[in-house]
Amino acid sequence: MAARRVPLVLLACGSFNPITNQHMRLFELARDHMHSTGQYQVVGGIVSPVSDSYGKQGLVLAKHRVAMAELALQSSNWVTVDEWESQQPDWTETVVTMRYHYGRILKEYERSVGMHNNSNPSPQLKLLCGADFLDTFKIPGLWRDDHVEELVGHFGLVCVSRGELQPERAVHESDLLSYHRHNIFHVREWVKNETSATEVRRALRRGLSVKYLLPDSVIEYIHRHNLYTEDSEMRNKSAVLRPLVKQAQEPVKSLDD
Amino acid sequence: MEGHSITKVVLLACGSFNPITNMHMRMFELARDHLEDTGQYKVVRGIISPVGDAYKKKGLIEACHRLEMTRLATESSDWVMVDSWESLQPEWVETAKVVRHHYEELLEAEQNFDDVDTIKYAKKRRIEENYHKHRDGLQLMLLCGADVLESFGIPNMWKQEDIAEIVGRHGLVCITRSNSDPYKFIHQSDLLWKYRKNIHIVREWVTNDISATHVRRSLRRGQSVRYLLPDSVIHYIKEHDLYSSESEQKNADVVLAPLQRYTGASSS
Repeated sequence: MAARRVPLVLLACGSFNPITNQHMRLFELARDHMHSTGQYQVVGGIVSPVSDSYGKQGLVLAKHRVAMAELALQSSNWVTVDEWESQQPDWTETVVTMRYHYGRILKEYERSVGMHNNSNPSPQLKLLCGADFLDTFKIPGLWRDDHVEELVGHFGLVCVSRGELQPERAVHESDLLSYHRHNIFHVREWVKNETSATEVRRALRRGLSVKYLLPDSVIEYIHRHNLYTEDSEMRNKSAVLRPLVKQAQEPVKSLDD
Repeated sequence: MEGHSITKVVLLACGSFNPITNMHMRMFELARDHLEDTGQYKVVRGIISPVGDAYKKKGLIEACHRLEMTRLATESSDWVMVDSWESLQPEWVETAKVVRHHYEELLEAEQNFDDVDTIKYAKKRRIEENYHKHRDGLQLMLLCGADVLESFGIPNMWKQEDIAEIVGRHGLVCITRSNSDPYKFIHQSDLLWKYRKNIHIVREWVTNDISATHVRRSLRRGQSVRYLLPDSVIHYIKEHDLYSSESEQKNADVVLAPLQRYTGASSS
């Protein structure tokens, strides 16, 4: 008897400053890949823009970033935007956001399936990210060890890269990541596409076209609200990234509490 | 009026567009930004001219589909449009002829705009005179990728006089990716070097390699191509069930039209 596929939800955390076609491609590529393993059924995707208190340079107001993501995802029938993280008073650790969403997903699932049906596998939530994300684990003070453990060990990562071997090397070079390598899924986008939100903001500052890099509705929103100027890019210029400050101060409840 | 005059430019892109992708559309945007940034040009129109079926490229699906997909993709653009003339010709048409055709049409449109003389032969003569004179007023430039520029070097792919006409009398706007060196290629060709002032190289700092080949491959494998091309084009492809393993085998054992034509001529 064939094993039932695990219902899977993909969560992407990030600035989405602004959301681009490249971000939305990540979901498409990840879904195709996870389906092709034969073990998963991707049932949803969540875009979770970071809150303003993240303190990253050039970050425009969360309300705009959420609105743009909503416009971009209007035509998607499986990926949605979630405002929870952006509305928290302080920056939220990625695992805390994951725990929140997983709790909702589980509750929803149990409600629709019924608690006593043991033959169906429980849903899973995995973090969807780009190749550069794995390298951020090395940055001192940005991640807590127990969080990385929970993120890759308990939840899991779906990491999309552009055909280079850098993400696999990053896993190889970290004992912690290596230990959980079975829970880190590598998805390759063979098409080299370096169109990042940074490049989009740069083009907008210089009055250059960004058409076909992000949906027309998002471009229109940007022009209407005059987002992404030289001034907006100077925001938070001398600020320290919030995670570096917060995590030096106090610990967060771990999974065992 | 003193001071420099701004030349109006129309960009013409020839190719398979099999299918059209966001990368094709981006080329127009990049070219326009680049030319207008020089302060010497104003890009007034973009024309996409899909090649005819007689080109015989492997995997080339019917022109009627490629035209419609391109039309759908240009719907949201207020300056780029699709043109069917080339695809409707019974035989494959050399790019230089396509350029010539569109340039003549543009000149005629300009003529009609300010011409009250309705005598046909006088108009025709005026068009021929203005073919050279109008260079300052309106220019048609061929928009292409670095691969087209480099194809000038492939034996029997282009006639030398055609290259001379395109870069000499008109102009070339070439979008390059970071892994090619167009300047070196121009330097190594006496013909291109002669007309280097008419060759505009647009450096694509941000690589965007969404090739139609990759799109067709993904479609064959049932993988998502969402956000690589407009939704309306994807919808059309699904609706008409285009791009399968069968469609990719089309023309597999046939020789590309230009190679067939020029190889035949050189052997006579």
